[in-house]
Amino acid sequence: MQANWIYIVMITCIILAIGLVLQELRRANKHWLLWRVLAIVVACVGLACIALPLSYQIRVALKDKHKTTLLTEGFDVDSLDKNAKQVTFDEDIKKAFPHVQLITPKEINKTDQLHIYGYGLTGSDLQQLAGRSIVFHQANTPAGTTNLSYTSRLKTGDVLTVQGSFNNTSKQKVKLVLKALNTGLDSVIVAPKSGSTFTLTTLPKTSGRVVYTLTSDGETQGSLPVEVNPVKTLKVLMLSASPDFESKFLKNWLSGNGYAVASRAAISKDKFTTEFINIPQFPLDRISASTLNKFDVLIGDLSVLSNLSDAESAALKQEVTDNGLGVIVKADSAGGKSSWLQRGFPVDRPSGKEPAPATLLINGAKSLNKLGAGNAYINYQNGTQPLVTGAQNHILANSALSGSGKIVFTTLNNTFSWMLAGNKADYTTLWSALITKAARKSNDLADESSAATLPVTGQPTQLTVLDSKRLSVNINGDNIASIQHLNIPFEWDVLYRPTAVGWQFVHQNGNTNWFYAYPQTDWLAIQAVAKISATKNYEMLNEKTDIVTKQIQETVRINVPKIYFYILLLAACTFLWAETKIS
Amino acid sequence: MSKQGVNRIESLRRRWIAYQLSADVVLALGIGLLTGGLGFYLMALPVIWGLIIFAVALTVLVFTHKPWNVHNSDIAGYLSKEYPDLQESTDLLLQPAVHMNTLQLLARSQAKVALDGLKVSHAYFAKRFKFAVLLLLGAVVLVWVVGKVIPHHHTGVFWSGDKESAKVIGPSEKVLPQIDGVELIVNPPAYTGKGKRTQDRFNLTAEEGAVVHWSIKTNIVIKKAYLIFNDKERIALRNMGEGTEWSASRMIDKPGFYQVSIDGKLSDLYQMQVVKDGPPVIHVKVPKQYTYIDAGEVQQVNISAALNDDYGIANALIIATVAKGRGEGVKFKEYKLNFNTTFGDRKAQYDVQKLIRLPALNMEPGDELYFYVQAQDTHQQQSRTDVFTVAIQDTAELLSMDGVLSGANLKPEFFRSERQIIIDAETLLKEKDTISVEKFNARSNDLGVDQKLLRLRYGKFLGEEDETVEGPKGADNLASPEDFSNASKILKEYTDDHDKADDAQFFEPAVKAQLKATLTEMWKAELQLRLYKPQAALPFAYKALRLLKDLQQKSRSFVAKTSYNSPPLKPEKRLSGELDKIIQPANRQDIKAPADNQLVLKNAVGVLEILKLKPLLATNDTRTLQLANQRLSEIASMQPGAYLPALGAMRRILSLQKISLQDVNTVERAIQKTLSAVKITPKAAESSTDMGLSKSYYKNLKQVNN
Repeated sequence: MQANWIYIVMITCIILAIGLVLQELRRANKHWLLWRVLAIVVACVGLACIALPLSYQIRVALKDKHKTTLLTEGFDVDSLDKNAKQVTFDEDIKKAFPHVQLITPKEINKTDQLHIYGYGLTGSDLQQLAGRSIVFHQANTPAGTTNLSYTSRLKTGDVLTVQGSFNNTSKQKVKLVLKALNTGLDSVIVAPKSGSTFTLTTLPKTSGRVVYTLTSDGETQGSLPVEVNPVKTLKVLMLSASPDFESKFLKNWLSGNGYAVASRAAISKDKFTTEFINIPQFPLDRISASTLNKFDVLIGDLSVLSNLSDAESAALKQEVTDNGLGVIVKADSAGGKSSWLQRGFPVDRPSGKEPAPATLLINGAKSLNKLGAGNAYINYQNGTQPLVTGAQNHILANSALSGSGKIVFTTLNNTFSWMLAGNKADYTTLWSALITKAARKSNDLADESSAATLPVTGQPTQLTVLDSKRLSVNINGDNIASIQHLNIPFEWDVLYRPTAVGWQFVHQNGNTNWFYAYPQTDWLAIQAVAKISATKNYEMLNEKTDIVTKQIQETVRINVPKIYFYILLLAACTFLWAETKIS
Repeated sequence: MSKQGVNRIESLRRRWIAYQLSADVVLALGIGLLTGGLGFYLMALPVIWGLIIFAVALTVLVFTHKPWNVHNSDIAGYLSKEYPDLQESTDLLLQPAVHMNTLQLLARSQAKVALDGLKVSHAYFAKRFKFAVLLLLGAVVLVWVVGKVIPHHHTGVFWSGDKESAKVIGPSEKVLPQIDGVELIVNPPAYTGKGKRTQDRFNLTAEEGAVVHWSIKTNIVIKKAYLIFNDKERIALRNMGEGTEWSASRMIDKPGFYQVSIDGKLSDLYQMQVVKDGPPVIHVKVPKQYTYIDAGEVQQVNISAALNDDYGIANALIIATVAKGRGEGVKFKEYKLNFNTTFGDRKAQYDVQKLIRLPALNMEPGDELYFYVQAQDTHQQQSRTDVFTVAIQDTAELLSMDGVLSGANLKPEFFRSERQIIIDAETLLKEKDTISVEKFNARSNDLGVDQKLLRLRYGKFLGEEDETVEGPKGADNLASPEDFSNASKILKEYTDDHDKADDAQFFEPAVKAQLKATLTEMWKAELQLRLYKPQAALPFAYKALRLLKDLQQKSRSFVAKTSYNSPPLKPEKRLSGELDKIIQPANRQDIKAPADNQLVLKNAVGVLEILKLKPLLATNDTRTLQLANQRLSEIASMQPGAYLPALGAMRRILSLQKISLQDVNTVERAIQKTLSAVKITPKAAESSTDMGLSKSYYKNLKQVNN
């Protein structure tokens, strides 16, 4: 019947076309004949096409018929596929949307395609999906602190700098306040409808472990655990070309804070005055490796250091490059042979009037008072890091690495006038910056445990613990198994699930470190951002590989819409009708 | 018969008076309520003002209306007018019947009958009263609305909020349950001039040195009671009767806190604030710190000062010292001068004045007067001002050539000229009586000319135009034919080609300004000389000379003190002598870093932080907190207002009752406030656990480099 219908229609249309064409040819008025014939043919073809069931075939990829929607925190109700089966791991979502099914990760239908809506899942939840592919419909970045960085272990006198980014979705500006001990310490305003970075700083007055908090408009964003440890005193050796005020004030200040200072100043030819404060007396006429080994920093006048004997100079070089001794070189006007310590620090000494006293930039922070720094300054060279700059950005103290040690070079030689003027703050800031930069690394070990993600109570936390020996880890009294890193032998991975909020103590081979377990309500935006990135990462790593190799396809017959033929027919008929009217 | 009618009218009169009086009362009430209410809400005036205004308004209204002045005849007239039944004969009722004719008697009896049956409406009588009631209602509504709209501060009924007696002292306080009431009598010391005052609260603010008397009533009989001051001092309360009334006294000279202890039970901490008496403040309005009396000016100085003190000023003096002579021959003499004011009534503020005639203190030209003002308050506290200096110009010194001869060569001839003009003018004045007026005037004029010439010479330094040469310079330079239409040369001839007058000299702006001032003085001197008044010209000439001398001093250069660094020794050039016998000094000592006196507080912070997470105190922690508590109590005894709440919170934490987060926060906040900024000291970086990885890296790097 189908085939017959086609023939019937075709034959009828052809006959109709021939008949009509003949009629046209017979007409006396031959005006536009060709066009008329063409119009008739088009009209007939159009008629035929309307009558005939026209269709074409294409191959399309077979879509999954079954899909499961996994709802996680932060999803948008409007973006959901209403037909899909909706499940969740989250009890809060179940409470809010009773029709959603509450399941565990294991209960997900293995054959269904899994669509995840919202912020996604945590790393441990994703692991339970066991590599099956997912489609992640990521929610918008949540409002709040989305990123945070600060040093949680400080030394007394270190500035606590909290940096991060805040996503303000509201139409009002938001005030972020850094608080400790129930006192606001620093604050910043975030403009409405913007995501911006912020920096908050404070100089902690306390020592020990204190939890700082960041609040936005009075609402707690989260805790910032900070530990401030006391400073261990250093041992400083000072070699001066002559007894001068600069060395004297420096020595008094250092020893007044309990630092060990040995100083030697030339008073005549091969005659020295020596002073030992907080350190046993020993001969200082000759500088040897064993002498240098006792100290963390050597502060010396350039003329002394460049006039050291070859043996002394070699010992110094060895101690600096191999054992990390720091040297602070005070440039003076002495000429003579140039020392290896001068390399990298060319001093420019323009003659003429001394520049007016100016404030100095010490590690980027402006000094409170001005200092007449003299004419001399250091020209910048690659591979050095300026510490102090004066007027016209002239470098007054510069530093460079030398092997495992550091060399600080300065042209300042009258900082004691600050101390004389009672300006202790600037003096201590300057010399603390210089000595801290130079000082030999202590044997104290730095932070030895770190968490890959924000440790939150009730959620497994991956800790990386550093230890050179075979590790036995004990956290809060529980022995925890550890895995050694495959390539880095001193890194050990530990998985721990903190139960209580607060400081968690990690005991490892006699050392005790800590990490802080945050309450689940802390840093919600950071947790959400971490989930988003973990889920995105998972989605990328577990892409549906079978799509590429053998995609299930099927041939689909698609009917051509009749409307096009109606238009053709109508156009042809209109032409013919209009032509009779005109002619 | 007629008595009844009269009585009726009399009763109507009373009704009238009653209505009028009540209308006045209601009207006054309305006015009082309106003004009092608005004053209370808008200007925070005490409510008593409303009562006062009511009384005043009532008196005024009653005495202007005088309702009792209404007579029976007025009432009768009103009745006749209002009620036709009475046939206009009501007033007949008031008249004695004896003198009436028959017709009158008839009308009278008719009127009486009509009056008896008449019902007189209240409407007319109550008209004003109704109006007054409406006004009162309006006032009530208005005051109510204002009271709703404007948030008012809590005040008592008979005093306003900001009166001293009603001042709220410190936070609300808790008292022991045994205490029924307390009366504190604060007796301020005599120097304040204030009277006794009483209060019923424990927190107290007293003047320094005030004696405070506590009398405490208890609701049960108690055995012993103490007042414990700053955790140290104990004062026993004396039993004043049957163990329910106790009292004690103490002088308050330092701020701090105290507790009441009743039978071993301790109360809250109460604060004692001390109002210190500041020393008197002296502000000298005239003269300036340094006054210079030029030759020719009146040799006197007027001292005017304002004195202020918290309570009262007892005395004020001028301590003046006259310095005579110079160099080694200088002599001092001290005078104590009183102000013209007496300080008998010990007011808190005085404006004092004193005119000192310098010749009265035997001062001569060249002498200097140093003085300061000293004041003493009623609390025997003294304060004094800086020293003020008054100097009389020494003309002999000014005219001497000493400084000029030894100084720099800054055109000495000009100075001599100014000196010469002064000397000549003085000579002229001396000879005034011996020479003729014409000659005197001519010589004065000549001096004026000299002064002008001198001024012009100085004017050149300032780039001023030379007045002596007028008009264009000769055009001779342009005579040569080759310069024809040479624009630049013509311009040069006919214009000033030097720079702008203001900038074209060698002087700094300050010097230039002083030179200009000198020229001004010279102008003035010249004017007086040309007016034949050499006497009047002298002050200006002297001033010009002084300014010139100052200029000369200024030209000397000043070298600022700078720090000195000795150059390093060069042994190859020096010190070649034998040094064998020279021993090398060596010094060894131990200096301990100063102990951190805030350590106990810092340690306490650690404990408090743990308490925030887990509200349970360990034994060690209790010890730490107790130490901090001691320190905090020391701080609180100095500043009870700021730290007493924290101390109370700390005690509650230590008492091992339920530890509240709020208490912990309060204590932490106080600790953060007391801690001083940390010292910045150098420190070493920490090394990392890397099994010597970085070390071997450096080693290998070195080998590669080699």
